[in-house]
Amino acid sequence: MSMESGKGVFFDGRTSARHDVAVTLGATSLVISDHAGNVLANWPYDELEPLTAPDKVLRIGRHGNPVLERLEIFDPDFARAVDIQAVHIDRTGTIQRRQRGNVIGWTLAATVSLLLVAYFGIPALAERIAPLLPVAIERKLGDAVDMQMRAMLDTGKTGAAFECGKAEGEKAGRAALDKMIHRLEAAAGLPGPLRSTVVRKEDANAFALPGGQIYVFRGLIDKAENADEVAGVIAHEIGHVAHLDGTKAVLQAGGLSFLFGMLLGDFVGGGAVVIAARTVLQSSYTREAETDADTYAAVLMNKAGGNVRALATILARIGGATEPGMKILLDHPETKARVAAIEKFANAKSTTPFLDAKEWAALKRICAG
Amino acid sequence: MSSLEAAPTPVGNVLFLGQRRVYWRLLARGALLLMVTLGIYRFWLNTDVRRYLWANTEVAGEALEYTGTPLELLLGFLVAVAILIPVYVGFFLAALDLGTVGQMSGVIAFVALGVLGQYAVFRARRYRLTRTIYRGLRFHQSGSAWLYALRASLWWILTVLTLGLAYPFQIASLERYKMRHTFYGDLAGRFEGSGLRLFLRGLPMWVAVIVPIALTIGAFVEVVDWQALAEAAASGGDDVMSKIESGNPEIADVVVFAMLMGGTSVTFAAILYPAYQALMLRWWSSGLRFGTVEMTSKLRTVQVYGAYVRFVWYAILCAIVAAIVGGMGLVAASYLVGGEQTSVGGEIAGTAILLGGYVVIALGFSTVYRATVMLSLWQLGMESLQLSGLSALDAVKASGRASSPVGEGLADALNTGGY
Repeated sequence: MSMESGKGVFFDGRTSARHDVAVTLGATSLVISDHAGNVLANWPYDELEPLTAPDKVLRIGRHGNPVLERLEIFDPDFARAVDIQAVHIDRTGTIQRRQRGNVIGWTLAATVSLLLVAYFGIPALAERIAPLLPVAIERKLGDAVDMQMRAMLDTGKTGAAFECGKAEGEKAGRAALDKMIHRLEAAAGLPGPLRSTVVRKEDANAFALPGGQIYVFRGLIDKAENADEVAGVIAHEIGHVAHLDGTKAVLQAGGLSFLFGMLLGDFVGGGAVVIAARTVLQSSYTREAETDADTYAAVLMNKAGGNVRALATILARIGGATEPGMKILLDHPETKARVAAIEKFANAKSTTPFLDAKEWAALKRICAG
Repeated sequence: MSSLEAAPTPVGNVLFLGQRRVYWRLLARGALLLMVTLGIYRFWLNTDVRRYLWANTEVAGEALEYTGTPLELLLGFLVAVAILIPVYVGFFLAALDLGTVGQMSGVIAFVALGVLGQYAVFRARRYRLTRTIYRGLRFHQSGSAWLYALRASLWWILTVLTLGLAYPFQIASLERYKMRHTFYGDLAGRFEGSGLRLFLRGLPMWVAVIVPIALTIGAFVEVVDWQALAEAAASGGDDVMSKIESGNPEIADVVVFAMLMGGTSVTFAAILYPAYQALMLRWWSSGLRFGTVEMTSKLRTVQVYGAYVRFVWYAILCAIVAAIVGGMGLVAASYLVGGEQTSVGGEIAGTAILLGGYVVIALGFSTVYRATVMLSLWQLGMESLQLSGLSALDAVKASGRASSPVGEGLADALNTGGY
C-alpha cells in the first residue's frame, strides 16, 4: 500500500506552538501544509534528517537548518512511506550500525596508537629531551627530589645523625670515600661535580638523583668485602648520572601521567588499569637503563684501573636474596644476566685496588658514630 | 519484589516511555567498549545515554530531544586538555621551587582546580541545556561561569566549615543562580525551593550520621594524654603499641568506642542514602519554575528504596557470576604467573586476566547501578512531576544559540561531570 499523504505535527522552530498539518509526499520533496492549504515547509527528500524520539514517533528535521523546524509523524504506515522516500532515514538501523562499527574501529585504533606511544614514544622523547635541559634545571629537579628523599630516609628513630661521615670518628672513612670517588670521577669526565652521601640505612643499596647526587646506604658498605666492590656500585650510579637517568625518569613519569591520567583510563575500574600499566611500563624503562649503567660501570672501572669483577661479585651477593616474584615488575634485569654481562668486560690487565687496607678499614667504620 | 519492580503509575503530565531492555543493552555494550578502548568510548556512551533519556521523556505530550554529538564532546575534551596542559606544567614547575611557593603548590593547585571544576560545571550545564530541544525550541543559559565558580567555591568553604550544615542553603542559592539564568526559548526560569525547608528536613539525617563521629572525637579529646602519645609515637621501635598503651591506659576503650561509633555512622549513612536522594530530588524538582509553569513532585521515598532493592538483587546476581568466572580466572592466572619457570608472556597474560577480572567486576557493578538506580531516579523524578500553568508553553518564542562543548570537556578532564 503506498501512501501519498498523511497527518503530522509541525513545530516551526520560531514559536512553541503545535501545528496539526497535512504532509504530502511530492515527486522530490515532502510538503508540509496547514489546514487552509498554506505550505509551511517544503523539504527535499535528500535533506531529511532523522532525529531522536520515542519508538512510536518518527521525528524529522531538515539537515543543516539553522531554525529547529520539527515534523512528527505518529501513523506507523505513513512513517514507513516517508522512510522509503528519504535517503538518510533508515528505521531498520543499518546506517546506525555501520556508523557505530566505524566509531568502534577508530576508537580501538586510537587506543592502540596511544599504547604504542607509551611503550616506544615516551622513552624515546625522554631520551632526546633530557640532554637539552640546562644543568641549572637538572640541579633544581635533583634538589626537589632530594628534599623528598631526605624526608623519606630520615626516620629519626635511632637518634643518631642520618648522614654518616660527619662525626669525628667517621672523618677518616669519609676521606677514603672521597678518594675513591675522585678517582672514578677523574676517569669519567662528567660535565658537573658529583655529591655523595652515606646514610644510616640497613639495606644494601645505592641510588643517584638528577644533578649528580649519589646516596650510598651503609648496608652496602657492610656487605662489601673489598673497596673495589663499593667502587663498582658507585661506578654504576655514576653511569646513571652520566646517562641523565634521573631526569629521564622524571620526564617519563610526567609523560605517562599525561597519557594515562588525562587521555586514557577515565572509567570505573580504570584506576587499576592505569596503575598497572604505569608500573609495568616504568619497570621496562628502568630495566634498560640498568643494563646501560652496568655497561658504563664496567667500562669506567677498566678506565680507572679497578677490578670489573668486583661489581659482578657484589651484585651476585646482594642480588640473590632480593629477587621479587614477577619478571615484568622487576626494575632491574635478572642478576644472573647482569653478572654474566659484566664479566665479559673483565680483562686480564693488572688492577690497582681503590683503597689500601687502612683506608678500607676506615670506610667500613664510616657509620660507626 | 514484583510490586517494587512494576513501573510506577505516572501522577502528572510527564511520561517516561523508555524500555529498560534497550537501556541495559546500550549500557552493557558501552561498558565493554569502555574497557577495550580504556575509556575513549565514553563520549559515545554518554551521548547515547542522553539521547535515550531525553527522547523517551514526554512532557505534556511532546518528547524532549537531545541534539549533542559525540564528536562535539571529543572536541571539547581535546580543547580542555590543551587548556589544562600549561596549567599542569605551571604547577609542576612551581612544585620544583624550594621556597614557600613550592611548599604551597599543592594547596594552590587544589584550590585552583576546584574553582576551575565549578566553572566547568556551569559551562557543561550550558552545553547540555542548549542541546535540549522541546517543541522546536532550545533551552539556553545566560550568566557568568566565573561568577558561579566564585559563589560555589565560597559556599563550599562555608559548608566544610559547618560540617555540612550549610549545604541546604548552598544548594538553594546555587540553584537559584542557575535557574535565574536558564531559559526555555524566551521563557525565563527561576527556582523557588527554600534552603531552610531542606535544612529542617535533612537535619535528622545529618544528626544520625555526624553525631556518632562527633562523640568519638569528643571521647579522644577527653581521654587521651596527647603528650604521652606523641612521645610514644616519636620514640618508635617494635614496642610502640605497648608504649602508647602504658602512657594512655584508657586508649583501648576509646578505640573500641570509636570503631562502634564509626560503624554506626556508616550504617546510618548507607541506610539513609536512598531517603536522602528522594528528599533532594523531591525538593529540587518542586522548586523549578518557567514563567507561569510550576512543578510539584509527588515522589515517594519508598519508590527510591524500591530502586535500591532492585540494584541489590542484580548486584548479588552479578557477584555470583563474578565469583564463578573469577574463580576460574584465578586458577588460570596462578598457573600462568606462579611456578618456578615462567615466561614474560605468561606473566603478562596472567596479569591481564587478573586486571581484566577486576575491571569487569567494577564496570559490571557500575553498569548495574546505572541501569537500576540511576534510570529509576530519572524515571521516578520525571513521572512524579505535576505541571501547572501549561498554557504558557503554547506561545514561547525561540531564543539562544548552541554553545561550545569546552565546558563539558573541562568537566570531563576535571571529573566534575554529571549525566
